[in-house]
Amino acid sequence: MKRSENKNKIRERKSILSFITIPVMVVVTLVCIIPFLYIIAMSFSSPAAIINNRVSLWPVNFNFDAYRSVFSYPNFFRAYGYTLIFTIGGTLISLAMMVLFAYPLSKEQLKGRKFIMKMVVFSMFFSGGLIPNYLLVSNLHLTGSIWAILLPFSINQFCLIILINFFKSIPAEIEEAAIIDGLGYFGILTRIVLPLSGPALATVGLYTAVFFWNSWFYPLIYLNSSQYPVMLLLRNIVNGSTLAVETGGSGAQFALSISVKSAVIIVSSLPLIVLYPFLQKYFVKGMTVGAVKE
Amino acid sequence: MKRLFLFVLLICLCLRTFTAIFAEGDAPIRITTYYSDNPTLPFRDDWRALTYIREKYNVDLVIEPIPLADYSTKVTNMLVTQGDDAPDFVLGAGINGANASLALNGAFYAVSDHPEWTPNFNARVAEYGIESQVEMGKLSDGKLYSLPAMYDTPAYDGGLILRQDYLEKKGFDAPQTFDDLYEILRAYKEDYPESYPLTTIIDIGYIERMTMPSWGLSLGLYNSTSTNVLSWDYENTMYYAGAVSDQYKNYITFLHKLYEEGLLDPEMTQDDASTTRKLASGISMATYGFYDQINGWENASEIEGFDLNLYPPLTGPAGAHHMPRSSTFDGIVFPVKTTQRADFEQVVRKVDEIFFSEEAILIWALGIEGETYTMDGDKIIFSDDILNAPEGAYKYMQTAYGCGTPIERVFINALDMAKYDENYAEINAKVSAMDHAIQYTVSAPSFDDLTAEDASLMQAALLDAYTVWNDAFIRGTKDIEDDWDEYVKDMQDKGIDEFLALYNKYNKYQ
Repeated sequence: MKRSENKNKIRERKSILSFITIPVMVVVTLVCIIPFLYIIAMSFSSPAAIINNRVSLWPVNFNFDAYRSVFSYPNFFRAYGYTLIFTIGGTLISLAMMVLFAYPLSKEQLKGRKFIMKMVVFSMFFSGGLIPNYLLVSNLHLTGSIWAILLPFSINQFCLIILINFFKSIPAEIEEAAIIDGLGYFGILTRIVLPLSGPALATVGLYTAVFFWNSWFYPLIYLNSSQYPVMLLLRNIVNGSTLAVETGGSGAQFALSISVKSAVIIVSSLPLIVLYPFLQKYFVKGMTVGAVKE
Repeated sequence: MKRLFLFVLLICLCLRTFTAIFAEGDAPIRITTYYSDNPTLPFRDDWRALTYIREKYNVDLVIEPIPLADYSTKVTNMLVTQGDDAPDFVLGAGINGANASLALNGAFYAVSDHPEWTPNFNARVAEYGIESQVEMGKLSDGKLYSLPAMYDTPAYDGGLILRQDYLEKKGFDAPQTFDDLYEILRAYKEDYPESYPLTTIIDIGYIERMTMPSWGLSLGLYNSTSTNVLSWDYENTMYYAGAVSDQYKNYITFLHKLYEEGLLDPEMTQDDASTTRKLASGISMATYGFYDQINGWENASEIEGFDLNLYPPLTGPAGAHHMPRSSTFDGIVFPVKTTQRADFEQVVRKVDEIFFSEEAILIWALGIEGETYTMDGDKIIFSDDILNAPEGAYKYMQTAYGCGTPIERVFINALDMAKYDENYAEINAKVSAMDHAIQYTVSAPSFDDLTAEDASLMQAALLDAYTVWNDAFIRGTKDIEDDWDEYVKDMQDKGIDEFLALYNKYNKYQ
């Protein structure tokens, strides 16, 4: 009798909680979605409708002019190709390098481990700065080549520490059993550790992919304009139009640029938005698995 | 047999040498540079003006477009590091601030070392009578590090823009003074009480920049003296503390009056879309902007008869003046790394030829005679596609042919006017006929590195204080009469007197 009363109380509390949380979550969701819908609506609307405040959540004078303008920007598709190369290639190289770096560092018996870890942490807080880094990359004859982006940023200290902690959390007994069965460390890494590390790799992979996807500053510094990623072009469309007031820009183009800017936001963020739901479950899990040191 | 062999060998050697010389003589010289890539005018390597220059001058001019938003970052990084990928010369780099320091530390080739390599540049400077302005560009070591871009006559490309249809409807004459402008704005406010008749492009600094000279001032972020808080006394050719002067007090009183009466848009920082929206919808009827923008604003409006026009500078206490313009501006610099090229002299000579020769100036401005234009006596007749371009000849020539782009280094007023409508030429003619409506820009003093650093520290603190007070005075959160002394004291505490003394000590004009 008492038990069923308790159950009823819990159910009641839950329904009260739902009564509060559901509207709150709906509001939060709307706050997140409405600006995005507004941007989508503007990207498909005519400049005159935007200027005269007639666009809300639905396009007015529906057209593709803004997207046509973005896609017809010189070298747009080549730049998009470079972005894909940097994102896919950079993420794969980065994951390979970080796994190979993190796995030995997760072993207590590694000599000099503490020193190496201190070096890693030190470099998280103190860097050489732009000019020394540029000179380093230049002296390695990497400037003007895609390797200037793929190699220097292949190890991120924060992601490395996540991976180290994750590898540490894998029970040592599994590895011991594998050693008894005749596997070496490399075999253990590829056949046992990596298959068990999906959440951590997905998390680190997503972080890295987002970094390479959004990267515009280092390509600007290290690459030739023919190798620029799309983010650099899109950034110029968004920021450069204001700077262009005195260099020959006309009001007509400014008006168009509102819808173009909206299209740019959609074009630059949509691929990651599409990707995110597939990685979300790993992402949330990975955030917690690497966080606790056992 | 031996003789025959030697003879054949000799013939071969001669042929080889001749071929090599011939080939070398014909090979175009390869020169690389950066281009500030304006998103409203994206660079195209096949612009006819560019390809024609390459053909005509036998030059492999390789232009790397760098996004406008990041141009200065890229250029500064390149100048500091001078790495393998540094271009042979840079377009649109000014020798001031950090670049002046880099120049004094040997980052650039001093173009004044070999004036004989730049005969076309020298000829244009003499032709336009701008020797003194070029001379002012020299640094403290007495050397010139840039081949500045130049105007023969600076154009009046922006200023007061207001609704001509409203003036006609209400029977107002074109405004001549700021009192006239005030009356027009007030009438509009009475007709449309919800309006803010005068709005700004980007920020209030643009209005200040274009109106202050009529009070004898040039202050703030967009000032013409590069000091932010000092102004130039054109009569005595020396700086004075404009930010704490009576002229400024009068000026800020006028702006505050506009604000207080709801004639000035309280949204003093806004993007171009917001300005367009306000003008197009009638929330505002006037602004200080650029002639190029009028067409877009008119196209965006759904108001019947909506008609904007540009007006000459209005008369204020110090006369009728627009923002000062120099006949020279950011030009061409050669990173010192280029001097390592064996053919460096040829590079400089070629750059001089393709930017400053009379023929090249015409190509960059008008395109190719017979293709983009023909001459009927002295009159320029543009091709049909240019004449019928909906965006106007100037813009069309930029995007379609690469004429009038940031690559162009010499701007001849008459050629530019030919590309605009007659209205623009008429306004410019009126402004040219006025008494020094556009005054010269003051050339910054040549400080040594340490003095430049001291000046820069003082300037940053003074600009911050000025900006805060200026905003407070306009909006009335500080009273101009009651708080003026406190403001002056604040500026003095931040060193405006020492700053003034420093600038006058290094004043190039005395």
